[in-house]
Amino acid sequence: MSILAFKDTQVLIQGITGKAARHHTENMLAYGTRIVAGTRPGAGGQQVAGVPVYDTVAQALERHRIDASILFIPAKAVKDSALEALRAGIELLVIVSEHVPLHDALVIMEEKERQGAVIIGPNTPGMISPPENAILGFVPTRYFAPGPMGVASRSGTLTYELVSRLTAAGIGQSTCIGVGGDRVVGLRFPEVLLRFQEDPQTKAVLLVGEIGGTMEEEAAELVGQGRVTKPVIAYLAGQTAPEGMKLGHAGAIVDRGRGAMKHKIEALESHGVQVARQPAEAIELAQKVLE
Amino acid sequence: MMCIYEYEVKGLLRQAGIATPRGKLVQDPGQAREAAGELGCPVVLKAQTLVKARGKAGLIQFADSPQEARELAGSLLGRRHHGETVEELLVEERLFLQTEMYLGLAVDYSNCRPLVLASGGGGVEIEELAAQSPERILRLPVSPSQGLLPGQARQVARFLAKGYHDPSLEEELGRVVSAMYTLFVGRDLEMLEVNPLALVPGRGVVALDGAAAVDEDALWRQPDLVRPRNQSQEAFQRERDFRRRGWSYLRFDGDIGILSSGAGITMAILDLMRMWGGRPANFLDTAQMDRQGIYDAFQIFKDDPAIKTVLVNIFAGLNRCDHLAEGIKDFLSEHRPRFQLVVRMAGNREQEGRRILEGIGVTPIGELEAAVRRAIEVTEERS
Repeated sequence: MSILAFKDTQVLIQGITGKAARHHTENMLAYGTRIVAGTRPGAGGQQVAGVPVYDTVAQALERHRIDASILFIPAKAVKDSALEALRAGIELLVIVSEHVPLHDALVIMEEKERQGAVIIGPNTPGMISPPENAILGFVPTRYFAPGPMGVASRSGTLTYELVSRLTAAGIGQSTCIGVGGDRVVGLRFPEVLLRFQEDPQTKAVLLVGEIGGTMEEEAAELVGQGRVTKPVIAYLAGQTAPEGMKLGHAGAIVDRGRGAMKHKIEALESHGVQVARQPAEAIELAQKVLE
Repeated sequence: MMCIYEYEVKGLLRQAGIATPRGKLVQDPGQAREAAGELGCPVVLKAQTLVKARGKAGLIQFADSPQEARELAGSLLGRRHHGETVEELLVEERLFLQTEMYLGLAVDYSNCRPLVLASGGGGVEIEELAAQSPERILRLPVSPSQGLLPGQARQVARFLAKGYHDPSLEEELGRVVSAMYTLFVGRDLEMLEVNPLALVPGRGVVALDGAAAVDEDALWRQPDLVRPRNQSQEAFQRERDFRRRGWSYLRFDGDIGILSSGAGITMAILDLMRMWGGRPANFLDTAQMDRQGIYDAFQIFKDDPAIKTVLVNIFAGLNRCDHLAEGIKDFLSEHRPRFQLVVRMAGNREQEGRRILEGIGVTPIGELEAAVRRAIEVTEERS
């Protein structure tokens, strides 16, 4: 088993006629993802890589069962497309687009809550479940292999670097999720951890975090509460980053001292999450917790 | 996050119908004297910098005469503050206030909600107050789709006006918080704060200081806010160009330039380099890891005299090592850069890329850590 994406997950591609979307659609199909439909206003009736294209999400839903949608949509139009999919009742969205305006992202996330849906991203390469041959997005599949490690990461390229080393060390993955590099993202570390906790195939979890935000601290608190009992390890990028400049008080009042690297490491380690100082150490920790 | 100057924030606040002190923006001491004469003394001179904490740095001064304003302006202009040079001063009438309040708008990223932050006590101690007496700060989450509801605006106003028993003050504060929220969303701000928001006898509620940061991902719909701030025209154009291409660029004071793709891996490289005693000069994260993108990135390193070594890290997942190698080859066939080159290359079409680079005398390294160590070594050998 894996989490969120499976062998029989039926997928819609919004914006399927774009160049990148076409390319990634072909790659996903080749890996085994069941892409059943695409949308692009005005392109209804066409086909991309054998996949039928519709003008709207609602039209696609009349003909197909759709479990997830991947948005290959320009940042400026992401809000409208995401709301269209959410309001049509699609329960899992992967928003790969970078540079989605903050206030648009906030509106999208509120609608997601209202609909009880899950959003991965924005600003993510997506996710992959190697045991299920399902990829939603564009992580380079050749570095992934089925196995016991759940991975959740805020950074795409750093994930490839670490996962390729895990795979080379004989440690495959149950599911690997890029939660997105933006400050406003849908699925966050705590929710991913809870899902990995429920998944029988996942034996341990690697969190790949970064400086800024409070996701790592929230994950640490969850482990501290005993709600995640599987071993969790972490690698954080930005351990030597200089502290940000003072630009106003509001951020500090909201974050209450969280977000700084020192605080993240303390929070994780005090709840038993070992934090690797270097990439190579992350692989050693993974081997140790899986012994 | 793009910060804007106090005088710009005040301009936005006035457009939204919020009162600010009368003031003038000046660039030289003579203008400061004139402004003080026109506004009437006493006046306050406020250095316009993007980084705050100006009070403690002595960058806010009071003058009782136009002559004194001229002298103080002379001492403030040209001062340095966290890497910025003071080039403009805001000269304002000095107002004597009855009360200082705090009113801010920010985003609670863990709950994906805008937050109104309000406190009956304002000033520079607001963060201490937030830490020590959190109950004295109101934090009100707002629905992004519905906006600030009239009842919520009244709630904030009542909280701020507690103890004054003045319905007209409550009404005015309600109007201010609603106007600020409209500004926050309408101008794509990540943060907007007025501190202090002052109660001035005879003048009502006045925004004495303001800070704001604009969402860089929404600048396309806020074109009037895009302009150079404390940077040369050249640096400004470059920043615009990078933004258009989706590149990010940060300058540090070291001597090793880093070209990599993806913020996370680039930060990891910076960490390794600093842990092992290397000094990064900059970090360039190109979304465009292709032949042309690599070529253009090298132009930036070539033009930077501080750079002794360039470390290129390519882990090709979707892009191709051979294309990247061609970009490097193109550049080196046309230029003779001063810097030494260390290339880490792995992934898609690694063998083809390796052959191209070896053909021009560059031996790529396959492992990340080894490449970082090598970059530090060759830089030390040179210095």
